[in-house]
Amino acid sequence: MEALRQPQLPGKGEAMKCPICGRKAVTDLCRYHAEAEEKVRLAYPLWVKAYGNIEWKDFLDNVKRNPQTGQWAKEIAELLRG
Amino acid sequence: MNGGYTLVICEKPDAARKISDALSGGESRSEQVEGTTVFRFNRKGEEFVVCAAQGHLYGVSDPTGERTVYPVFDVEWYSSDLVDEDSASAARRISAVRKLALGASKFVNACDFDVEGETIGYNLLRYACGGKEKSALRATFSTLTEEDLVRAFDDLKPPLEQGLARAGRARHTIDFIWGANLSRALSQSALGSGHRYRTVSVGRVQGPTLGFLVEREREIRTFVPVPYWKASGTFERNGMKLMAGYTRDRIETKQSADKIREECLGREAVAAAVRRSTVMVRPPVPFNIGDLQKEAYRAFGYTPGRTLQIAERLYLGALISYPRTGSQKLPPSIKFRGIIQSLGRIPEYTAHAANLLKEESKPVQGVKSDAAHPAIHPTGERPKRSLEVSESAVFDLVVRRFLAAFGPSARRELAEATLAVGEHEFRLAGGRTVFPGWMRYYGRYAGYRDVEVPPVSEGDRFRVVGVALEEKFEQRPPRYNQSTLLEKMERKEIGTKATRADIIATLVRRGYVSGENMEVTDLGLSVVETMTEYAPSIISTELTREIEGELEAIEGGSRGEAELLRETVRSIVGQLAELNANEEVVGREIDSALTASVARSFVLGKCPICKTGDLRVIRSKATKKRFVGCSNFSSGCRASAPLPQKGTLRTASKPCERCSWPVVYVAGGRRPWRLCVNPNCPGKGKP
Repeated sequence: MEALRQPQLPGKGEAMKCPICGRKAVTDLCRYHAEAEEKVRLAYPLWVKAYGNIEWKDFLDNVKRNPQTGQWAKEIAELLRG
Repeated sequence: MNGGYTLVICEKPDAARKISDALSGGESRSEQVEGTTVFRFNRKGEEFVVCAAQGHLYGVSDPTGERTVYPVFDVEWYSSDLVDEDSASAARRISAVRKLALGASKFVNACDFDVEGETIGYNLLRYACGGKEKSALRATFSTLTEEDLVRAFDDLKPPLEQGLARAGRARHTIDFIWGANLSRALSQSALGSGHRYRTVSVGRVQGPTLGFLVEREREIRTFVPVPYWKASGTFERNGMKLMAGYTRDRIETKQSADKIREECLGREAVAAAVRRSTVMVRPPVPFNIGDLQKEAYRAFGYTPGRTLQIAERLYLGALISYPRTGSQKLPPSIKFRGIIQSLGRIPEYTAHAANLLKEESKPVQGVKSDAAHPAIHPTGERPKRSLEVSESAVFDLVVRRFLAAFGPSARRELAEATLAVGEHEFRLAGGRTVFPGWMRYYGRYAGYRDVEVPPVSEGDRFRVVGVALEEKFEQRPPRYNQSTLLEKMERKEIGTKATRADIIATLVRRGYVSGENMEVTDLGLSVVETMTEYAPSIISTELTREIEGELEAIEGGSRGEAELLRETVRSIVGQLAELNANEEVVGREIDSALTASVARSFVLGKCPICKTGDLRVIRSKATKKRFVGCSNFSSGCRASAPLPQKGTLRTASKPCERCSWPVVYVAGGRRPWRLCVNPNCPGKGKP
């Protein structure tokens, strides 16, 4: 079960903001974190294949800890981990 | 005016001195005119006065002189001191040239023979000498050696077609119109959003270059590594042990990796025939400026800008040829043997020169050429002063590259042996240089290592005594460094050989990129993001490259500059309209990035004393001096340290290894210096 996430409520006349960085949200995330989220999700089946099996939460923990993971991808992993 | 002297205009004071010494046989007299040094002498019955600019003495600006006014298209050339506060001496130098022009009957433009040099000379002849740009003769040379200079002045060229000067002036005008309008529009939109004024600049080449960095930054920050495995085996035979890697570099799943171990461990491996091959390695082509900058970065870690500065000093010392060249070719007219003979008088190169002089050899040539100058090469002159370490390093690199160009191809023997365990194969690979050829001359810069393959014969049988599996992860793409970014700009054909290094330095100065590893800041991301959305052509590589092509056509005389200027103005009007239509939102986005960047610029790092606060740059209300203090001061943390009062501070990416306090780079002098802010750092005072 993924953590619920809410974009930051905008001020008057302002666009919705990304809950992670406060940039303008394009969906519920900014374009950078949305791109990172897509990459995290695309990587999961590859990890499952590589290890034979890995739980979604374990995958997120590993992604978050891995020094090669990009900063925005780590933030997404943390958000999805809840 | 009859009976007057010949006024020679040079680009830099050092060049003026060299030219005077060469033409007068060291008999020139120096004198002061308007506080600048000029040289006077007689040559072949003719009186010469040699004066110098100091780079560009004229620059483009708009008559308003207000950084808040835009659009501005009605631009003019002004004395540089009026458009750039760092050019205070320009008025004095212009005044000297103006005064000297009154007594001159003949004019010679002896500035560097390229677009910038031609523009500098053209502007002085036109504005300070009363319209002599079309009648002045041209001295063209690629080195400041006496021989080259005497030849150039014995063979002065009639006034040139001025394609170079027209292209140079068009480039300056377009870059001003482009940069001033768009930067002012961006800065104003941020100002309208409540932020105090700060320049948010975007230039014609700067925009796409920042675009490259942002594209890479996104790849890095969104990167998710995928695991894979590598296997290697340990093999034993008659007490000899050797290691070999599995032939498949990347094993996709753990299951496959385990299977390899299971099927190999304890089994017998059989060696297949050792495959040996010989490859010829050609010498590297002679240096153009881009190649020199990349090689100096690889060999010494010098930034492209620093290498260019060093190369220019070596050129002004007549040690190497003109460095701002695109050519990778060495023409016979530079007299190869003479240079090699002269280099032979420098002890480090004596043996190499003697070797090369044994027979007549031709240098290897690259593909790129430059009509104005040959590839960078040593002149053969010995340094007349003691060179700085960095100068010696670049000089050595240039000399060795030149010598290497004459060397024969090197021969390397590559060997590969395969050990088969059933269907699995492990590989041993190595290589060694069997004939060094040019590598002998290029020395440590050649960069080839010898790796021997253990003695293995076909049919040898080994016992597999170990199979190691290593879990690996894909590596995220590397950040650009100054050298690879320069390479990218070259490949994409944006900017010129003379300006690329400056553009990279501007990106750092503007705060779009931070740290030694060219990490894009939020401000840099925000500028590109905003441009991508509201005025994409500003960061378009295609548009910039198209303009470069048009400027080259102007250089070649096949296109007029007026037409290009009109097209540029049309393009900018369109971009400004898009920005203005979205001014509020653009302003808000830039403003929030600016606010974040200013806040961050005051934080140097975590406090090593209380471990929770931030060490910040604070300015004392009483003394107005800046110092470092902890944000937990009110909670009792008394960590503080003095700071240099002059210079811009930039935080290093890592804290001090000795004491964990932040490290800053202080910029302001010739070169930024590194400082651990802890006054009691145990590393202080130690080399």
